Amino acid sequence: MEFLSLLDVSFFLLAGFGALVGIIFGAIPGMTATMAVAVCLPLTYALGLHHGLALLLGLYVGGISGGMVPAVLLNIPGTPSSITTTFDGYPMARKGEGERALRVSVIASVIGGLISAAVLFLFAPLLADFSIKFSYVEKFLIILLALSVIASLSSNMLVGIFSGVIGIWLSLIGTYSISDGGNGHTRLMFDFMEPYLFEGFSLLPVLIGIFGISTILLESEKGVKNELSDERVKLGKGSHFSFSIFKGRLTNLVRSSFIGTFVGMLPGVGGSAASVLAYTQEKNLSRDSSEMGKGAPQGLIASESANNALTGGALIPLLSLGIPGDSTTAVLIGAFTLQGIQVGPLFIPENTDTWYIMMTALVFANFVMFFVMFYAIKHIAKVVMVPKHILYPLIVMMCVVGGYAINYGIMFDVWTLLIFGVLGYLIQKIGLEVAPLIIGFILGSQAEVYFVKSLESAGTLSIFFTKSPIAVVLWLLIVASVVFSIVLSLKSRAKRRQNSSADPDPV
Amino acid sequence: MSMSSIYKTLGTSVLVAGMAFGSAAAMAADGPLRGNVRVVIGSTSTGGDTYQNSSIVVDALAEKLDLNMKVDAVGASSAFRTLDRDSRGNTLMIFHDQSYLGYLYGVEGYEDIFEKYTIGPTVAINPGNAYLVPKDSPYQTLGDVIEAAGNGQEVRVAIQPGGVSEIGFSALKNAVAIEHPGMEDNLVAVNTGSQADKNQQLFDDQADMINGTVQANEQYTRLPADDQKAMRFLWLTARNSTIEQAPEEGLGQTTREQLLEYVEPNVSVTMGGDENFTFDKEFFFLYNKDMDPAIVEQIDEALSEIYAEGDIQETQKNSFFIPNFKPSDEASEYLAEKMSRYEGIIDNIK
Repeated sequence: MEFLSLLDVSFFLLAGFGALVGIIFGAIPGMTATMAVAVCLPLTYALGLHHGLALLLGLYVGGISGGMVPAVLLNIPGTPSSITTTFDGYPMARKGEGERALRVSVIASVIGGLISAAVLFLFAPLLADFSIKFSYVEKFLIILLALSVIASLSSNMLVGIFSGVIGIWLSLIGTYSISDGGNGHTRLMFDFMEPYLFEGFSLLPVLIGIFGISTILLESEKGVKNELSDERVKLGKGSHFSFSIFKGRLTNLVRSSFIGTFVGMLPGVGGSAASVLAYTQEKNLSRDSSEMGKGAPQGLIASESANNALTGGALIPLLSLGIPGDSTTAVLIGAFTLQGIQVGPLFIPENTDTWYIMMTALVFANFVMFFVMFYAIKHIAKVVMVPKHILYPLIVMMCVVGGYAINYGIMFDVWTLLIFGVLGYLIQKIGLEVAPLIIGFILGSQAEVYFVKSLESAGTLSIFFTKSPIAVVLWLLIVASVVFSIVLSLKSRAKRRQNSSADPDPV
Repeated sequence: MSMSSIYKTLGTSVLVAGMAFGSAAAMAADGPLRGNVRVVIGSTSTGGDTYQNSSIVVDALAEKLDLNMKVDAVGASSAFRTLDRDSRGNTLMIFHDQSYLGYLYGVEGYEDIFEKYTIGPTVAINPGNAYLVPKDSPYQTLGDVIEAAGNGQEVRVAIQPGGVSEIGFSALKNAVAIEHPGMEDNLVAVNTGSQADKNQQLFDDQADMINGTVQANEQYTRLPADDQKAMRFLWLTARNSTIEQAPEEGLGQTTREQLLEYVEPNVSVTMGGDENFTFDKEFFFLYNKDMDPAIVEQIDEALSEIYAEGDIQETQKNSFFIPNFKPSDEASEYLAEKMSRYEGIIDNIK
């Protein structure tokens, strides 16, 4: 217990301060946990390793959870991993249940965060050994599993799949890197676009555009009415929160937390796959999933517990293999490098004090995040009461600034934001579906890389079935997921038919 | 989303940090270089050697010149483009041999740095470029690998194509071609990206040897042999004289003495004739061609003073870098000569 002597008041203050600043970063569209950690990285010089880590881990936890705020209230995922939070959060907010939605999300977040911290603490080296059993083939199958959510998310399956394919196509635009098995040239574009699309469309401007800007366009189309008094009534009436929401949701909570931890643990499988995967599984496995996507708390629970569980998960390969599990831990590794500390398979046994310190900071930051968010929500949720003609221009401004900043001042990112804003608006007008499209966009390029790499190393398609028992299990999950969504859509179609025959005069 | 695209947020972030935490120091200098100076680097990683080394140098330089300077991990193509845009001297770049190797290998986004930019001073060497095999590999020495390939056995080597990670592989292939003409295609490159990917290739038995670094792989070499992750160094590409300058305690628990076992003359890769291949990964400044020559001089002078004082060498050595300051003119000539040497190897095996 020598490490206890290393803890002091400033250590906890820094972790708490980190969580607070992280929440703000996460809540501003276009700013992410990764950015928050990167901004404060040079501070670790002055603070020393342990205090520096307290700050950075606080930022990490806060940044990931802060993303839920704009996702729920404004339909803008504050971070890529909170995209599935918009699916149920925003409909709830529109029903006047914004505060309730946020409280559910905060509780799910803290539980996800703590479960993953416990897993990290108890099983890190063991799980690291397990994670290296996932080669290209298994990683491809995990992404395919996450992609199968497209089928169950869409209201019309064919349209949904078509939208998903468009998303994948958009994700493949850019340079096809030699490291990814390509030829190093740009593709899927005309020559004149090369200077702009050299690296493809960047994710965050696309996300913010297609969700945020298009929502604003759709709302604006309805015209600005004075709906202030209306909103106030709604906020009071529907926002009652009680812990009974979590009744019967324990399985969902624990399953999603484990999914989040697990995906976080696999280097190279992006963070957004975690919440998408957890959301799919809840949709497939729960008995009453028909409301998901229309404002069901269970969707929030799945999404938020999974994306916060990512934090502990992503630290597993970082601390027991020296390999970052996601983009934020990739920046975090800099804190060690700058202090001249090697991370690798022997990090934990050789740096036990640092290891305990990190666990303390991680758990403490989760609690701070919980208390700050849970009690501040009442005030944060009032954002929806700001008159739309004031709120929307402010959001657009923030989106544009965030879009410009995300790749340190690339003007094309702002254009991307606006192009996808208009595209998102048009897509919804002509009846395509946004959610499958964006999931296709997020996961498409990874799916390609792992698919090509698997073929490159094995030379035959059968490798996807014969690689390992893990691959077989993943295939079973994929098949189950697809079958579930087909059954689900048949059921809901039958129900609709029943309703329409029962009601002779449908509106 | 690909990780690299997120890493680029770092750029802005560090810039924002710069503005938030340290805008006070600006405009204090007397020399031609003034205002806020942004140092872009050719890597997107803040955990890598380029960021670490640049931080050390830029911190010292900022203090010496009394300027506000910040390192931005923006990645190679962005860094070149940013440098192209700014001839005032408020954007400088630090990168390593990748900057010309990328050009030699024909990677998109790379041009001839000697034509397009002004070469600034070299500052340090990272002596850690290494090749490793699994601990239970049949190859005991690099000679075994060359022999095996020469005798018709396929040896798969995981590298990141188009630069520093590939040059050792190219030299090895060249050596096989010299010693066993016609057999060089038995040395097969397995193209991957990050160090994590290369390690994974070894764990999956998809590669027989990988490119790595002393810094990232040293802990793996200390794992027990029955661990699937255990590795063994076969070759460090650095010159013997470079490793000689490393601290005696080496890195982690691998001493300088042990590291010397993996460099020439203990391990040799022929380039034909008497010459053996070595490769030191060297970090240096790159400037916009139209930048005021007085700034080049100012930075040269400041660095000369910094290196004369001697503290920076200690910091560099503690982080396992070998100090290697050469003023701009000398550096430019030296690096051009270095490039032409490797150009020969790459041409040979085409």
